[in-house]
Amino acid sequence: MLAANISEDKTDVPYGTLDLLILKTLDTMGPLHGYRIARRIEQVAENLLRLNQGSIYPALIRLEQQGWIRTQWGISETKRKVKFYSLTKAGLKQLSIEVANWERATALVARFLEAKS
Amino acid sequence: MKPRSTVARLLALFRGRKLDHELDDEILAHLELAEHDAIARGLIPEEARQSARRNFGGIEEMKENHRDYRSVRWVDNLLRDFRYGMGSLARDPGFAVVAIGLLALGIGANSAMFSIVDAVLLKPLPFPEPERMVRVWETPPGLRNGTTTLTFLDWKRQTDIFEALSVESPTKAAVATSGYPARVAGKQVSADYFQVFGVKPQIGRAFARGEDQPGADRVVVLSHAFWQTQFGSDPGVLNRDLVLDGEPHRIIGVLPAGSFDRDEAVFWTPLIFAPDQLNRGQHWLNPIGRLRAGVSLEQARAKMTILRASLNDVIYQKDWGFAVDPFAQMLVGDTLRRSIYLAFGAVVMVLLIACANVANLALAKGTTRRKEMALRTALGATRGRLIVQLLTESLVLCILGGVAGVALGALLLHTAAPLVAAALPFTADLSMDLRVLGFAAIAVMAVLILAGLLPSLQTSFGTLSNALNQSPRGSSGSNAAVRRTIVIAEVAASVVLICGAALLFKSLEKLQQVDAGVRIDHVITMSTDLPSAAYPSPASAARFYEAVVQRLQTVPGVEQASVSQGLPLQGVQWGEYMRLPGVEQPLLVRLKLADPWYFSALQIPIESGRGIEKRDRAGAPPIVVINQEVVRQLSKSFGVANPIGRTVGIDVPGYGPIPESLVNMQIVGVIRSERTAALNAPPELVAYIPLAQAPRQDIKLVVRARSGPAAAMPGIREAVRQIDPHLPLGDVMTMEQVKEESMLWATQPTWVVGAFAGVAALLAALGLYGVLAHAVMQQRREIGIRMALGARSSDVLSHILRSAFSMLIVGLAGGLAGAFALTRVLKGLLFQVSALDPVALAVACVLMTLVGILAALIPASRAARVDPMRVLRDEG
Repeated sequence: MLAANISEDKTDVPYGTLDLLILKTLDTMGPLHGYRIARRIEQVAENLLRLNQGSIYPALIRLEQQGWIRTQWGISETKRKVKFYSLTKAGLKQLSIEVANWERATALVARFLEAKS
Repeated sequence: MKPRSTVARLLALFRGRKLDHELDDEILAHLELAEHDAIARGLIPEEARQSARRNFGGIEEMKENHRDYRSVRWVDNLLRDFRYGMGSLARDPGFAVVAIGLLALGIGANSAMFSIVDAVLLKPLPFPEPERMVRVWETPPGLRNGTTTLTFLDWKRQTDIFEALSVESPTKAAVATSGYPARVAGKQVSADYFQVFGVKPQIGRAFARGEDQPGADRVVVLSHAFWQTQFGSDPGVLNRDLVLDGEPHRIIGVLPAGSFDRDEAVFWTPLIFAPDQLNRGQHWLNPIGRLRAGVSLEQARAKMTILRASLNDVIYQKDWGFAVDPFAQMLVGDTLRRSIYLAFGAVVMVLLIACANVANLALAKGTTRRKEMALRTALGATRGRLIVQLLTESLVLCILGGVAGVALGALLLHTAAPLVAAALPFTADLSMDLRVLGFAAIAVMAVLILAGLLPSLQTSFGTLSNALNQSPRGSSGSNAAVRRTIVIAEVAASVVLICGAALLFKSLEKLQQVDAGVRIDHVITMSTDLPSAAYPSPASAARFYEAVVQRLQTVPGVEQASVSQGLPLQGVQWGEYMRLPGVEQPLLVRLKLADPWYFSALQIPIESGRGIEKRDRAGAPPIVVINQEVVRQLSKSFGVANPIGRTVGIDVPGYGPIPESLVNMQIVGVIRSERTAALNAPPELVAYIPLAQAPRQDIKLVVRARSGPAAAMPGIREAVRQIDPHLPLGDVMTMEQVKEESMLWATQPTWVVGAFAGVAALLAALGLYGVLAHAVMQQRREIGIRMALGARSSDVLSHILRSAFSMLIVGLAGGLAGAFALTRVLKGLLFQVSALDPVALAVACVLMTLVGILAALIPASRAARVDPMRVLRDEG
């Protein structure tokens, strides 16, 4: 039943990039709760991404424990108490590191792909 | 892992439940928002909910990831097992209570006993550098003896060996406190006494050099406790005097709390040698020394040997040497050491039996939990994971048992400490300190391995189908064999203990049956010291003896009163040579000083000749009465057939500053031997000299009452007060108490081992009961079928009892073998009982069998009452 709704052309979240996506989302959007973070990632990906929305929560707790994001209690649109996540200073720094890493990695791969014999 | 996240993860362990809860909230909120959005996109609520769930993904899997990320896995597992263990214990409170109770009993008794072992045998003495503290002796061949004043002073001059060398002489003095006179214990010591112990006073100073020389001022040092109780912790105490026997002594120091607190002495005064004491004849000093730093025991011994050789001209016991022993070694006697080891061995045995019981219970529980284990295995738990889980449950048990045990141990120790304190050296401080807690922790670990690990390895983790199919009907199996073996071992261990207890009790009974040779009942004794100020001469003391007896005779209820030096069973202070004219070799006898009524007060019969009479006063011809042992020895060694009428020479102790002197006296009578020393020692050679002819200040009153001695006591006190209102009476004891006290060395270990043996037997019976009850429960179907096929109740009963009996017999055999192996341990503590006494061993076996059969009867009768119809219906 689940499989029927998943279109064939969606891709999984590239390995190790979920942290980066979350940090970037929070950097762009400011404080958000879990659902909004997930939705935002899906929207930016324009349905190209196969994301289990639940999988952002383990990532969030890990980022929080690293001290890169912090949480605050707030009220959701449905009037429920939820956690709002926002970027810390350390998180901002980490984001720039990860962005740099990612760019270096993609540049490297791109160079291999462009290289002719 | 970075430090920050490590801390966060560890913290997460303890916030696990809260974090789980928060996560649940977030998930709920998330799904609600998603549903809300979906409805806004135009889906109907049912579809919206499904869509939200679908987009979210697997919730449980995510939660598991969440826990993994935030936490340290194995610790988390451990905590979860811990909680699970608590839960499973709470589900079976009967098992938990019994197991924790057993462990608490074992660990409690062990920690209390260990505290004694530690304080007496293991802990270093509570003095700085205790290894430098020594005792110095003169050594007749094969013995340790005290030394003489002059020899002691020679030793004291060896400053290259000893940093300090001191003697102590116990004393008692009347202290004028509120109203009636009280006698308190003190010690006369050399000036450098506290230097030997390395103890510095908290207030003031210790004795200075020269304060133990003739003519020095009278000074006194107080114990901390005495300062608190008698002087109300007065900080200005140094300006005050303490009046001892009417003589004011200037208080120069107060000892710090803790040092010498368990010593009965509460004050210390300098020991000043009288001119007549400066001889080499009277061996009355037992010096304690502190070796100079860097001098080893061997060096000290070598130097003392050289010194001995140089003194050969002045010491007339040519074959006596000098010896130096570690102080700690001499503090604990051989009997005490043996008793403590014995009691500790017994209590460890009890712990082992308690462990065996818990292991047995756990095994029984293991069989009933087979289904649970199989289910968990089927769900993917590894064998190792399950063992860890079972171990964690055992850990919970052990920790709870350990905590309860330590509390119980503290209680036991608190109760027992005053009872055993008298038998232990004064340095022994009994308390539940860190060392005892450490021991308890080690005991808990040992218990965990014995009672937790083995059963968890034994628990079957078989396949699900096996467990589910077999368990309701499974009868015995390998598990049951293990459990039977454990019970047999328990029985064997208990039998060893019961045998030991039976032997000790028999020995104690023999000891109690020894005829002390004196009247024990209706006799009351007390001690007093005649102060030199009030009784300056021997004649004044002699007048007191006669007057006090005369007055006591008039007290209603008093049958006979007497004065003597020393009591039966407490040992005789003086040992002197009895010299026969014309015989070079003297005979060493104990010297007792008694008034004319001593023999009749204690009902010691006169065998021949006469006793001491009123006419034997000072100035009258000196006489001596001897006991049968002396007669025997005189006839054996010197061929003296009838000693009465013979003249012998004996050194008679002096009075105050009057020196001892050799007196020729006539033997006028022979009495039947009284036991002067402990009841297990052979009767001593004793000579009795009239107290009037050799008066002493330290004396005992012995009063035989017509009815209860307690009723006569007020009259006795009043009578003594009429003679001398300032004379305090101390050590009021009935002769029964004197006898009991003289046997403490035997009674205490006997009752301790007896109590532990009783506990062990009960635990073994409990184990036996457990195994049989479990077997009966498991075999109900089998029993039901048998009964359906015609077996009678009595057949079933005897079947179960036979099974119990087979375990008991094997256990008894093992126990007896153990008892034989341990004879060496008991030997030294037994009196007139062989360590293999057949009666005692038989009694032990019969007792264990009876207890075992009683334990077996309950499950056996339950089996006999099995209703075949019901069993077959229930489980068919």
